[in-house]
Amino acid sequence: MMWSVITRKELKDALRDRRALGALLLFPILGPVMIYFMFNMIIDIAEEAGEVSLPVVGAQYANDLVDYLEQNGIEIETVNLNAAANPDSDFYSEAQLEEIREAIRSRRFDFVLLVPEKFDKLIGASRSSNIELHMESTRTTASPKIGRVDGLIQAWGRETAALRLITRGVNPAVIAPVNVVRVDVASQQSRVQSILGMVPFFVIMAAFVCGMGVAVDVTAGERERKSLEPLLVNPVPRYTIVIGKWMAAVVFSAVGLVLVMILNFFSLSLVPLEEVGIVFNIGSLEIIGVLVTTLPLALFAPSIQIFVGIFAKSFKDAQAYLSFIMMLPMAPFFFNMLNTQDREFWMNFVPMLGQHMLLTDVARGETPEIIDFLLAGLTLLFFSLLFVYGASQLMKRERIIFS
Amino acid sequence: MIEVQNLTKSFKDLVAVDGVGFHARNGAITGLLGHNGAGKSTTLRILYGLLKADKGRAMVDGIDVMTEPLKVQAAIGVMTDAHGLNPRLTAREHIEYFARLRKMKKAQIQRRIDELIVTLDMGEIADRRAEGFSQGEKMKVCLCRSLVHDPQNLIMDEPTNGLDVMTTRSVRSILLKLKKDNKCILLSSHIMQEISALCDEIVVIADGKVLMQGTLDELARRTDESDLEEAFMKITRRG
Repeated sequence: MMWSVITRKELKDALRDRRALGALLLFPILGPVMIYFMFNMIIDIAEEAGEVSLPVVGAQYANDLVDYLEQNGIEIETVNLNAAANPDSDFYSEAQLEEIREAIRSRRFDFVLLVPEKFDKLIGASRSSNIELHMESTRTTASPKIGRVDGLIQAWGRETAALRLITRGVNPAVIAPVNVVRVDVASQQSRVQSILGMVPFFVIMAAFVCGMGVAVDVTAGERERKSLEPLLVNPVPRYTIVIGKWMAAVVFSAVGLVLVMILNFFSLSLVPLEEVGIVFNIGSLEIIGVLVTTLPLALFAPSIQIFVGIFAKSFKDAQAYLSFIMMLPMAPFFFNMLNTQDREFWMNFVPMLGQHMLLTDVARGETPEIIDFLLAGLTLLFFSLLFVYGASQLMKRERIIFS
Repeated sequence: MIEVQNLTKSFKDLVAVDGVGFHARNGAITGLLGHNGAGKSTTLRILYGLLKADKGRAMVDGIDVMTEPLKVQAAIGVMTDAHGLNPRLTAREHIEYFARLRKMKKAQIQRRIDELIVTLDMGEIADRRAEGFSQGEKMKVCLCRSLVHDPQNLIMDEPTNGLDVMTTRSVRSILLKLKKDNKCILLSSHIMQEISALCDEIVVIADGKVLMQGTLDELARRTDESDLEEAFMKITRRG
């Protein structure tokens, strides 16, 4: 095949290019390393949420509640305030509240439970009392702990109410006509879905980054070196030349894809996911599935880059255009982040979006439909051939030999 | 054999080639002589199939370049005005690449390249990467590439432009040998000594038009000038 003569020559050239090789090897490492560290952070947070320490002001006013919390594994940390109390009121003074706010702002505490002096008295008299949980809601690391404390206090409240009713001979069911029972059907894996959602992003990105150097070099680079005109003098159709050059970039892109995939699985297997009760099982079937899903990306990304490389007037020109093209892989990522509706059939026909969905499914441990695989793959193939055709047309312009 | 009739080519408002016609026979070196911008390169580019003429015909061995550009390209060897090389490939790899593109057999390629390396005295640079090649070394690689498939017709755009004396002489001797082998050689130049030392036929071009075609003697006779430079000045001034 004539195009393979061109491909082999371009690959030989690219393999001697340290810059192109650097991009090929460095980028695929980046994503998996990031994912590894982010997972470790999440696991740390999850482990911390298991052992909650709760700062309480006025713990002595809520003996029953504090006992209940301690029985449920919350460690109570009694906080004594320095600011003066308000002698006229039975609640905390403004100075005391400010002291608490300051303690949270300065990150001494993430949250503080505030028990009013009359709490036990009011509860004992079958009345109700406020109890204040001061927190900084933007501090995401604390939110699972706050949720746990909040839930336990609510549960204690329900128990207390039930006891009150029983002593009055009323069935507690009277005031609790409905009990919401949460049954979580999400597989364990979807807990880490937010991070796994980055895997497809890095994979799609790798397809673009790893082949780009070669794609630009064999097109705009060749023109700038003034080696294009001698090449075009040979009795080889222009489309053969374009296909040969395209395939060289495809090889780099595909190697990058496979590398990023292997490294992703490797980094996920290094993370102690089982410590937070997550089983991440990727078998050989999934790996083959992911490869089949993503390899069309290695055709697609270089096809755009070759097109742009031939369209551009110079190497610099091409790089400027391609920095915009590099934004493309982010589009399906952001779409998926903002998109709240379910997967729809038409999404298969949007280049890269289909792949993104499929990869997300696999990362979540779900098996996508064969038809989705096929349609998403064929869509990319169609667009790749379209760009290669366009590139061949551009290559036929007379302008191509003038720089 | 190369034949060009009434060739015309414009770029937007600029008429680069305006009714050019000449012929270059086998066993002879034909030179296109003209100033920079006279239309030499454009004419040659039409001939080797990179530009499409607006009007006229260009034939190589009886094949029309407009209708069958790939066939014409297979019948010619071309040394373009651009001499760019891939800095990371060796001289031998460059030549091999073009030989492959011309569908030569592997064993044949190696034999032919070894032969050319000896003829052009390129032993020292043959397996060195092109990065840092001098202009002369680059031109030698380009010349090898255009000769590797032993074409019947050779088209060269300013083949000795920027070469040192030694290389110029070796290029000349190669061209004379090809001529003896009954090849058709068409070259362009704006250097008078080059043309007068090499060419059997001279085609004088100015402003996209052929002003005169003939041997050195014929040009001298028709202009009453024995020196080519003087003859050229007379012809172009008159045009």
